[in-house]
Formats: sequence, structure tokens, C-alpha cells
Amino acid sequence: MSHQWIGKPVARPDAFGKVTGETRYMSDLKLPGMLWGKILRSPYAHALIKSINTAKAKEVEGVHAVVTHEDVPGLNAYGAIVQDQPVFCKDKVRFIGDFVAGVAAETKEIADKALELIEVEYELLPGVFDVEEGAKEEAPKVHEEGNIHLITKVEKGDLGEAFKNADVVVEKVYQTARQMHAYLETESGVAFFDDKENLHMLCGSQYSHRDQLQLSRILDMPQEKIMVTSNPVGGAFGGKDDLTIQGQLSILALKSKRPVKIVYSREESVLVSGKKHPMKIYMKTGATKDGLLIANEVKIYADTGAYANLGRSILNVAVENCCSAYRMPNLKVEGLCIYTNNMISNPMRGFGANQSNFAMETQMDIIAREIGMDVMEIRLKNGVRQGDEGALGHTLTSAMGTIQTLEAVKNSELWIDKDKYKNTPTKPWKKRGIGLATAIKGVGYGRGLPDYAACDMTVLENGNIRVAVGCPEIGQGNSIAYGQIAAEALGFPVERIDVVTGHSHATPDSRTSTASRSIYAGGNAIILAAEKMKKQLSEFSAGINSSKAEYLLEEMVDQALKHKKEFSVHGHFEVPIPDKGIPGAYGLPHLVYSATTHLALVEVDMHTGLVELIKSVCALDAGKVINIQGLEGQSEGGTVMGMGYALLEDIELNEGKTDTLNFNKYLIPTSLDVPVIETIPVEVTETTGPFGAKGVAEGVCIPISPAITNAIHDAIGARLESIPATLERVQDALKINH
Amino acid sequence: MKVKLRVNNELIERDVDPSIRLLDFLRETLDLTGTKEGCGAGECGACTVLIDGKAVNSCLVLVGQCEDKEIITVEGLAKGKTLDPLQDAFVKEGAVQCGYCTPGMIMSAKALLLKNSNPTEMEIKKAISGNLCRCTGYVKIVKAIQTAVENSKEV
Repeated sequence: MSHQWIGKPVARPDAFGKVTGETRYMSDLKLPGMLWGKILRSPYAHALIKSINTAKAKEVEGVHAVVTHEDVPGLNAYGAIVQDQPVFCKDKVRFIGDFVAGVAAETKEIADKALELIEVEYELLPGVFDVEEGAKEEAPKVHEEGNIHLITKVEKGDLGEAFKNADVVVEKVYQTARQMHAYLETESGVAFFDDKENLHMLCGSQYSHRDQLQLSRILDMPQEKIMVTSNPVGGAFGGKDDLTIQGQLSILALKSKRPVKIVYSREESVLVSGKKHPMKIYMKTGATKDGLLIANEVKIYADTGAYANLGRSILNVAVENCCSAYRMPNLKVEGLCIYTNNMISNPMRGFGANQSNFAMETQMDIIAREIGMDVMEIRLKNGVRQGDEGALGHTLTSAMGTIQTLEAVKNSELWIDKDKYKNTPTKPWKKRGIGLATAIKGVGYGRGLPDYAACDMTVLENGNIRVAVGCPEIGQGNSIAYGQIAAEALGFPVERIDVVTGHSHATPDSRTSTASRSIYAGGNAIILAAEKMKKQLSEFSAGINSSKAEYLLEEMVDQALKHKKEFSVHGHFEVPIPDKGIPGAYGLPHLVYSATTHLALVEVDMHTGLVELIKSVCALDAGKVINIQGLEGQSEGGTVMGMGYALLEDIELNEGKTDTLNFNKYLIPTSLDVPVIETIPVEVTETTGPFGAKGVAEGVCIPISPAITNAIHDAIGARLESIPATLERVQDALKINH
Repeated sequence: MKVKLRVNNELIERDVDPSIRLLDFLRETLDLTGTKEGCGAGECGACTVLIDGKAVNSCLVLVGQCEDKEIITVEGLAKGKTLDPLQDAFVKEGAVQCGYCTPGMIMSAKALLLKNSNPTEMEIKKAISGNLCRCTGYVKIVKAIQTAVENSKEV
């Protein structure tokens, strides 16, 4: 089917304001009488609070509010799933950087001075810093109810019997890094109460309506009196899913009765913001000599840090992806999400899939080499197809693109000419290798969680059509995709569609911009609204002039305006879920999956251990492509972020402390590190998706990491079981190997 | 102390503390918020502006050091609704996602093109290597700068 707008590289309407500097991000806002907010933080990883004395701080001239837990009118706790994080700590602090008190003052300098005058008496407690130690009964308790936030167990088939029949069994322990989102705009926002005592919260986030709900609990205020604006956002990548600063900011605005602004310094952001869950993964995998996978035994420890955030869902996505994109007749997986006194972990692009996929895709590479099978063929042999039983035991009923993405990579120039590429290193002391990996990633939340989106569609007085969908524009480009979907569904020019996103009142609740879901869920809601709009407009036009058989939508809009008739419709879409859940695994499985296969060419300096990604191929099945530029942008950005995960990025902690606090020590890829990236869209259209689309944002940063470490092995014959593959780790691997 | 400098072709004279950062002078005093702060340590490039034609991290410069200097920020590039070729190319090539790094990225590219109107791909990559972008993977940014170079040749 040919489309007028779908699949085209339509330029983003928000780009104009971003290239001229006109766009005002939350960190750019300035209001009359605005104060600066600052937070007093715990210097200890685990301690009891014996007393807090704010008297001296309150006396400083220019200070308008000094707040603690005593100033929280409602629930002094937040969290997207379980509310276990205090807005301001009362009895106890649980990580270095935990929130103890806040100050609102006329300048940042005055606020800093007041912070220094707040006296807090602590009694130190022993801490939990190792995830496996934390899981033990005798470990110090981070929370009263114990350190095990969630255990998920899935068992299928007969593991013992299967391992007996296996010709090859590979058993390894993997460790993944504490990767930082490194959005360029730190946590920032402005809050104020208007003369009707409504709270206005302007703060970059990924779900306006959940922020509104959480703030209503904290402030003990009705939700409708809380107006949340979530975009524009200077990057999020999952890190702005749960509340960041909104709770503390709202209390400062409440007490000072003035607009208050908080902008985290980078150091503060690094210390306090959540990171990708570091996971320790034990994996034992069995296969036949023909390369058929028959058994996998997996144990996953996820370090969620001091508070849960979305840790339990993230653990379960790690469980869901522990066999990557392969059939697995016999499986035993146990996942543990553990509280520690380390910095908080939270959602980050991939949502737990990156970690377990890294482990399984490394196992695949080892198995292939042990039985002497081609790394592509073993994946094609075991890769899931529509109708197969997925690893967790559910039937994969939706369109699965794993085989198609593998085939696309197999037909790529880099794969076909891999020997030529490998044999031409740039220096005699460098070695090259090729690595392959694949992944699937569920679109949406999965079974058991409410998952929906809605669209309010209105004909405006200027003849444009407004399309309002809740999912915030966090930079990913859902707003232009929404414009294209609406234009196509209505048969109306895309430049006359005004897209609004990310506002608790101006847009209907559509849940989050996360989980690669904003196109799938929001797009479907738009199509439902467009059908209603077309029906209403054509009935109206037929009523005016029944002799004319058919009108263009533009003509109908003109007539509606001429007759001063208002048109406003609502579309609501419920994301479909699988019929059956996975016993013992909350939120699993998903119905719709995107698929990605990455191929990586690396070059390793045998003297220094430096690894460079030279070239990569990303074949992805995101279903029907809505905006090709946006899709490539996701593929390129995702590939580079996954490269950072494999090669560079980690925040190392020593008893909860780090000296990696800014981009001088936390290195992310620069323009000079970026490989040649070939993106191959494989459009396995999903019948339930808008025009056949699924989702793209997370899959593109998952298999690239094991593709890189597999390529390192191909180059040097040594295996990286912990990432990132730092110089030290690669040097150690070289020593062990030689 | 009174400081005198030119910002976006306008003579500015203000009585300010000379020890505030140029970044804060632009954002807070002049309300030119197109220049962003990403790290405050000269590591991310989000605050890049031109000082006498050279790309500089404005978080590392004090306004007192800018006496009689010519500052250009991202707001100084477009002529009314007509975008600078770099800005236009960033829009058309899809080089903008969240957009927070974009002003600094464009200013680094501008400094490059002022001294080298026909840079190689490696020269472009080097010129923006002090500007971090977490969304795009830089591919479309490099392409946009190349497109701007091509479009400038045609005029």
C-alpha cells in the first residue's frame, strides 16, 4: 500500500526552535520572583538520622524556605511502582546523596550558604554494597522488610535430563556496568502555585500523569489542581521515568510561596540520578553438536540500589530476555532484585534486556565456536519465528523479525566481505574481528500492567487539526511520527497537524514515553480518533450538501469553520496483551516484539588493549517505518550508546562512593569514536500496529554490546565476560590467553 | 564593574560582577538561553559560543575577560526567519533529537566553517569532538555540516 506521509523523512517541527535557541527547556525558564532551590544530601551510604536542626539556615538573609520531612503534607514517599523513597529522609539515609533537606533562596550562593548551616546528626550503620551479599539473610537491612525486593522464578521442561543430553555445556559468570544515561540536560524544573492554589510543575519527565498522581499523594492535593508540563526535555533515555526532583521542588514552592527552580549540577546529577542496573548473571547453557539449544540455567542478581524505582519490572525484562531471541525447550531462571546502599538504579534504554542479552549472546558465540558452527547459522537455527514457543513458554503470536534481521545482516557487504575487512588492520600491531548478536525487545509494558494511550483531536480555528497525545516528546521524535500518522489517517497535510504532547491537562493520559511504546500505543490512539473525526466531518458535510458524493478532508474542515461548527473527538487504545501470563513473573510476557541484529567490526591494539569499533550494521525490525530519518537517528544513537556500554562506560563504586562525577571521568563516545553505521530496516509489519509499526528505541542499543565483545574475541581469541571492555580488562584477557 | 562587549552584533555595556561566567552573563543577564549548560567543566560543549570567531566553552570564561570581544551565540545566526545554512541543514538532515547539544554543536561547526569553508569529514569530526551528543550518534550531525558546506558553495 502506498502512503503519502508514512515512511517519509518529514522534518521535525520542533527542530526549528532547537536550532535557533528559541526553544525554552525547563532549565531555561525564568519567572518573576523566582527562587533557587538546593538540596542537602547525605554524605553517608547508610546511617540513622538522629537530629536535623535548620534554625541557623532559616536566619540567613534571602532564604525563603528551609524544608525537611516535617514539611511534607502528604505521603513522604514516592516511586513509580512501590513508594519506598522518601521525599526528604526522616529516620534514615540509604545512599550517598539521599535527600535530607531543601532550601529556597534568592540566589544559588545564598542557598548554598544556608545548606552549610543545616546541622544533621547521623549514626553510621554498616552498609550493603555487594548485590550477592545483600541477598543473604544476615546482611544489614537497607529497608525494614529486607533487601530482596523481588524474586522471579520461571521453570520449563526437564533441565537435568536436558543437560545430560547436551553435547556441549557452557557455564560462565557475567558482570555488567553501571551505565549512566548522560542526558545533556540535567534534572531541572520550575514549580509554582498560582492564585487559585494550583501547582504548576514544569519539569522534564516521561509521564506527566504519573508525576501528577505522585505529587498529589506527596502534597495531599487533588490531582486536577496539579498541572504538569513534561516537555521539552534535553534527553531522558528512561532516566526521567520516575520522579527526579519534582517532589522536593513542590515542597519548596509550597513553603516559600514563590516560584522555585532547581537545576542539578552535573556532579549532583551523576551522584543522585539512577543508572542502568548492574547485573551479575550466572548462565549455564547446553546445546547439541548440531547447534540446537536445549537447556539454559540462569541466575540474575540485579542491584537496584537504595530504592526500588522501576527495579522489579526491569528485573523481569532481564528474565524475559535471558535466552535472547532463541527457542529454549528447557529453562530454569531465577532473578533477584536486591536493595543495596549503592546509588539508585532505574530504567535505561533496554530496561534490563541489555544485561541478560549480553550474557546469552556471549554464550551463543562460545557454543558456536566449541562445536565448530558458523555464528550466523547457529542463530538462524535457533531464532524465534512467529508461532513458536518463546523461551518462557508462551506462544509468540505477533510478527517476529529475528530471522529477517539475521538474513539482512547475512546479505550485508560487511558480512559477505568479512575476511577482507578482517585481514586489513590499519597497523601491524592491531588485530581485527567480526562479531554478531541479535535481540528482541517487548513493545509496551507486558501482561498485567495497564497499558493504553489516548488522543484528543480537535479542529482549530485556523483550520489546523490539533493532535494531543500524552506520551512526552523526550527527543526521540514521537511528535513528528504522530503528525505523520494523523496526516495519513485523516488524509490531511502534515504541516497543518499541530501535535501536543506531555501535559497533564492539555493532553490525555497516554502513559509513558518508555518501553519503545510511544509510536505503537499513541499511533493507534491517533488512528482511532482520526476515524471518528472523518466520520463526523463527512456526516456534517453530507448534511450541508448531500448532492456531492465525496469531500476531501480539507474541504470538510473549511465547511466546519465556515459554519462555526466545532469538532473534537477522543480516541482510546488499549495495548493488547498475551492471553496467558508467565506464572511467577509479573508483567510478562509481551505480545509485540521488535527485533534487532547487529554486526560489529572492531580493531584491537595488541599493545594497549584499546578497542575501536570500525564499522557496524544494524538490521532492525521495527515494523513499518513511520519516519526513515527518525528511525536512522534511533539506530545510530542506539548503536553508539550500546558501544559506550560495551567499551567505555561505568561508574565504579567503593562502599557506595565514587569519584566519577563529571564527563572528565565518565567518558561517553564522541564524534571521533563513531563507526560507520549501516542501518537496514526490515519491515515485518505488525497487524496490530499503526500502519504496521512496532517500536524501535530500545532494541537498537541492545545486541551491539555483545556484538562488540564477540568481535573482540574474534580478533584476539580472548573473552570479555565483564563489560565495559576497558584497556585493563582487554590487557588482562590478552595475558590469560597468551 | 562595567563590562563592554559585542553580543550578536549589538554593543552591550553592563555593570556586572566581572567574575561571573560568560555563560551566566548570557543566560541570566541577557536572557540568551540558547546557550546551554551541560557540565560546567568544559567537557560537554553545550555552552559553546564564538569569541572573536573562535569556538569557546562559555562556562570556562569570565565575563570580565570578554572586554571588547565579539561574542556570537546561537541566537545570532539566523537573519529573521532565514536560518543560517548550518541551522537549515541540521533541521533537514534530522540532526536534531532532544536538541540540547544542538546550539553548541552548531557554534563549533560555525567556527570551523569560518576558518575552513571546505573541511574534510575528519576535520568536521575533530571540530565537534568537544561537543557531546547522547541522542544522535553524531552521524546526522556530521552529515548536516557537510550539507551546509555544499549548500554554501552553491550560493
